[in-house]
Amino acid sequence: MVQLSVNNETFEVECAADTPLLWALREHLGLTGTRFGCGAGICGACTVHIDGEAAYACQLSVEDAAGHRITTIEGLSENADHPLQLAWIAEQVPQCGYCQSGQIMRAASLLARNPEPDRQDILDEMSANLCRCGTYPRILRAIERAVKEG
Amino acid sequence: MNSQNIRPTRRTFLAGTGAVGFALLASGGVTLFDGSAEAQAADETNINGWVVIHSDGSILIRFGAAEMGQGVNTSLPMIVAEELDADWSRVSVEQVSADPDGIFGNPSFGGILFSAGSSSVEGYFTALRLAGANARRVLIRTAAAHWDVAPESLSTDAGHVVKADGERLGYGEVIRLPAPSAAIEQVSEAELKPRTDWRVIGTDKDRLDIPAKTRGESIYSIDVRLPGVLYAAQLLAPVEGETPNLVSDEASRRVAGVTDIVPLRNSVAVLAETWESALAARDLLQVEWTETSGFRNADSSLEMSELISAAESGEGDVIVWEERGDAAKALAAGGRIHTAQYQTVHVYHAQMEPLNAVASVDDDGLGAEVWLGSQSQSVSIGIAAAVLGTTTDRITMHAMQMGGGFGRRTVFARDLLRDALLLSRHAGRPVKLMWTREDDVKNAWLRPPTAHRLDAVLDADGDVTAMRHRVAAPSIMEFALPRRWNPEVGRDLLIMEGSESADYAIPDFRAEHLLTPRRSRIAAWRGIGWGPNCFARECFIDELALAAGSDPVAFRRRLLRESPRGLAVLNAAVEMSNFATATALEGRALGLSFAGYKATMGAGVAEVSLDDGRFRVHRFWAAVDPGITIHPQNYRAQVEGGIIFGLSSLMRERTTFSGGMIDQNNFYDYEPIRMDEIPEIEVRILESGGHPSGGGEIGVPMTGAAVANALRSLTGKAPTAMPFGEGVS
Repeated sequence: MVQLSVNNETFEVECAADTPLLWALREHLGLTGTRFGCGAGICGACTVHIDGEAAYACQLSVEDAAGHRITTIEGLSENADHPLQLAWIAEQVPQCGYCQSGQIMRAASLLARNPEPDRQDILDEMSANLCRCGTYPRILRAIERAVKEG
Repeated sequence: MNSQNIRPTRRTFLAGTGAVGFALLASGGVTLFDGSAEAQAADETNINGWVVIHSDGSILIRFGAAEMGQGVNTSLPMIVAEELDADWSRVSVEQVSADPDGIFGNPSFGGILFSAGSSSVEGYFTALRLAGANARRVLIRTAAAHWDVAPESLSTDAGHVVKADGERLGYGEVIRLPAPSAAIEQVSEAELKPRTDWRVIGTDKDRLDIPAKTRGESIYSIDVRLPGVLYAAQLLAPVEGETPNLVSDEASRRVAGVTDIVPLRNSVAVLAETWESALAARDLLQVEWTETSGFRNADSSLEMSELISAAESGEGDVIVWEERGDAAKALAAGGRIHTAQYQTVHVYHAQMEPLNAVASVDDDGLGAEVWLGSQSQSVSIGIAAAVLGTTTDRITMHAMQMGGGFGRRTVFARDLLRDALLLSRHAGRPVKLMWTREDDVKNAWLRPPTAHRLDAVLDADGDVTAMRHRVAAPSIMEFALPRRWNPEVGRDLLIMEGSESADYAIPDFRAEHLLTPRRSRIAAWRGIGWGPNCFARECFIDELALAAGSDPVAFRRRLLRESPRGLAVLNAAVEMSNFATATALEGRALGLSFAGYKATMGAGVAEVSLDDGRFRVHRFWAAVDPGITIHPQNYRAQVEGGIIFGLSSLMRERTTFSGGMIDQNNFYDYEPIRMDEIPEIEVRILESGGHPSGGGEIGVPMTGAAVANALRSLTGKAPTAMPFGEGVS
């Protein structure tokens, strides 16, 4: 039994201590907005925030995540109105959509740390996350829009 | 495929919601047989299969294609809404999961639910216009009977029927009126709205699926959660065709939560109460494999040698794909003959959602509920029924949003569906079968490799008078679609399309397929034959231009002299990139490619630099002509995505195998392009009118030669094999 704080709620999860946080979120808690892409910390589909910082949920055990503030896409904003979520709609970013939770969570972590990133900062940060549909140009535009419109 | 290929179906559709008595025709036509009293009390009316109108005025529009990111959930309903004259703000949409009455099939795929080949808008366009127009006609006739006026005196305006004096009835009000007693004739194509009256088609509606995708709320099959579900992980045969001998599962069975270990035809599956238990137990299995598969000798580099020698010699199983004039004779006659060779390697789809399937088999074992991301609901239902030895009416399919398709999920993903069903039937519980990324990479169905040999004759004026494009490759259709493969004819469009050079005025032309044996599992891949074939041909065209003392633009203009649409996209790409007049930035060069996809015309220009042997694409310009664009912003997104997909493959995508086993494992050794590697992309859509054609793949074929030709300008030598590698020497 592991206690996790997710999106400002406390959950008891019945799983082994070394279970990846990703499986606890998706299969135990039903927070399926955090996606499974590679299980190896290379695609970023599982990006969540640990104490506000982007992290790969597939690379973190529930034991390591316990005691930290975990935020998933479902908890990013109260009414799905984070500036990035609005910018994602305004720029019509998603295609298949599978990677987009992770993209938004990584971008949100960037903006929390650096509210006015330049283009290179964005590219450096966002290159951690893969998108196979090729929505990168619109991701870039959406982040720049969110920076401008705050 | 053009509108002539659409085969209207005329099967009867009975309203599914029970309240209304229209008998409706599949193509959207209607005959009325009962103006029943219940109709007046109905909350919703299934006007025809495609359109459900609710009494509050909201409208549900169904679509038959499968959403994998291409935006059909919005673009197809827009076509219906146009002719229906719907208020778009009141429209919601629904993907159909099955088509028992034969209403929703893609007319360009024999009337089944099948989404591939950029064919959804092209195939459905006319059927959906008629569906919307016929639904509108029902509403008009109903209102006309109510007002007792001639139907011709009525018009519609954004969800309302409007009388000549201005009185209006919302569609939601109309459906509560008694249905008219007279039969209603179907709308003919000639009666459809003229393009000048369109107000939905051609506008940039927001995609209806996007808000949920920004909240993590879109549900893929991998997200499905069911009460009592068992998780299944598979230890899959390392080599195709081998079967397991389970030496020991003792350690696996001791893992907490494991309920069973089940040997299947080409895998051993672990069933467990949690996914992490299933994975842990899989690692502890002791399995021996038969090791008798002929694929134990399969090796990707040997296969490439086979292909190259087949393409060079022209000897073997030769299938003529396209013939105009007599290229063989022209080449035999001699003259200035130019020759070149090109190759493309095996590539993997790398859709972001690893393949998975969820199934819940009924207690009697002869029916099931299935949750699946499938590019063909119809094929999947057929497979499920065959696996259980039952009839398709016993299969309840939930066609889920796919986390990418790219060709992987038509018939090429049937094994997971089969195994999920077998496991659920065995366990008597619902089963969620998932592949890890490693499973997905190791068990990929790849785009087959190709070797090309091109020969052309240049006359004294520098014109191409004859050309032969020979493609050596195994057949995808022979392997994966045997029922559509006629060995006597041997035409494989998945390999050969795009080799026709149809827009080039070359009097003697032949494209031929040198059919080689399959050495791996192979499948369609975004762009199908157009990607490799246009890469090879467009590199060759630049070589010929050089040999003729011409330049890439003038040479292609001459070749396109009989193709106004081809010339238009070429000229647009040239203009956008300042190709002809650009004084290139220091260290950068432009490369041009004319490469369409089926009826869609396309041309692209890449701007490339080299730094320390590593190339970088800085900008990419594309001009495309799909005839008509339904949903421009989404179309543009598809073209951009296709360009990025193509650039990714030409940079470094390569699957290799030895001893029948794929060497790559995960995204660290098969790494798609990342955000800091993409160019700035500019897409211009030209609309020549006519029937609309697809956008999902047109971006891919133009990329290879555009980059290769730019590299020639920089180095004097173009790469001839994809991928080019991240560096070129």
